[in-house]
Amino acid sequence: MSVLGILVNYYPTLLGGLLVSVELFLSVSVLGIVLGAGFGVLGARNPTAGAVVKTASFIVAGIPLLVLLFWFYYPFQSLLGILISPFLTAVLTLAIVNIAAIAELVRGVLTDFPKQYIVAAQMAGLSSNDIFRRIQFPMIFRQIIPSVLTTQLFILQATLFASLISVPEIFRVAQNLNAVLYRPVEIYTTLAIFFMLVLAPLYYLAYVLRERFTRDFSER
Amino acid sequence: MLTAHNIGKKRDGRLILNSIDISIEPSSIVSLIGPSGAGKTTLLNVLSGVDAPDSGEVRVDDKVLSHPSPRVAMVFQQLFLWPHLTLWQNITLAKLSTKDEIAELVAALGMEAFIDRYPNQTSLGQRQRAAVARAIALKPKYLLLDEITSALDIEQIERVAALLEKLRASGVGILLVSHLINFAKRVSDHIVFMDGGAVIERGDKKLISNPQEQRTKEFLKFF
Repeated sequence: MSVLGILVNYYPTLLGGLLVSVELFLSVSVLGIVLGAGFGVLGARNPTAGAVVKTASFIVAGIPLLVLLFWFYYPFQSLLGILISPFLTAVLTLAIVNIAAIAELVRGVLTDFPKQYIVAAQMAGLSSNDIFRRIQFPMIFRQIIPSVLTTQLFILQATLFASLISVPEIFRVAQNLNAVLYRPVEIYTTLAIFFMLVLAPLYYLAYVLRERFTRDFSER
Repeated sequence: MLTAHNIGKKRDGRLILNSIDISIEPSSIVSLIGPSGAGKTTLLNVLSGVDAPDSGEVRVDDKVLSHPSPRVAMVFQQLFLWPHLTLWQNITLAKLSTKDEIAELVAALGMEAFIDRYPNQTSLGQRQRAAVARAIALKPKYLLLDEITSALDIEQIERVAALLEKLRASGVGILLVSHLINFAKRVSDHIVFMDGGAVIERGDKKLISNPQEQRTKEFLKFF
């Protein structure tokens, strides 16, 4: 069976897996960006919260994602005597990684923001509201967006690990399909091309944004 | 008048400014000269309300200055042009001058060719002129300039000198930090020599050719 044949005959199965992947990614991404930004702002404003954010991000970065996923899937649930679905376990694990990464990113950018840009705006007689709207927000947004995008692309790739705890996402579906058809070349090549078509332009976008925006700070 | 009385400032336990008294009258240009690390930039930061002094106070026309305001505009040594705005947007953001007034300023500083570029697309000399224009566009009563000529060629320095003289004639009081002694001599009414966080000597521009204090003589002997 050709690649096209597999796509035509099994597209409902593949689409089902893709939808689970998208649902998993969006849940983790929204949780990570919203809570991560919140913790990051808190960490920049309060030194104690800042130390907590920094420590948490070091700890999370120090544990391989797969170990963390399996730890939440087996020991964590067994220790607490609870049962969480594989999908929610994957959301929980990836969200923790994403929240820690975004929080540290936001904290760092806010803490390192050169105060003199704000002083120059105060000197120009701008109101606090205008300083945030015209100076701080656009500068911080431009500096942070490429890194946030890169982190989300890493998370998107990491959703494939959820297949190892039986979440029926795209990779798991592809594995199951291969178990039935035994067409590894066609199936995994299709999967690789699919991910490349989705991820490569997004990585390129992150690269372009980084080139365009972050070099603005080069005259510091 | 912009006056600072008994200004003291410490940083990391080190005395940076020691009992400084200085004043800038309207329609005058004062040049602050001295070796690197003398405390000139710190003094400008205090005089502009950017940094609070540990002792003493700064008054602008008898009102205590407690925060940065357009009344006392400063051009920072590192400029701090907002990098996401073009030079024109940097200069016009405050909306304290009309577009015609700013266009005139841009022409006086010879900036027409690069005014729509972003700071990172321009040379240091072009950015220095933009930062000067941004400060002048605030219509300040007092203007503090920290090393604004370090990357300018002689033609541009002459343009800046002419502009400063025009501002002085319109009533603006200017305090200038410069390592270009000729430039300081050319435009200034008064010279203040600083070293080790203290004012060593002050006087009119004759001070440059005829210093009285030993430390001033040592510094100016290379000139």
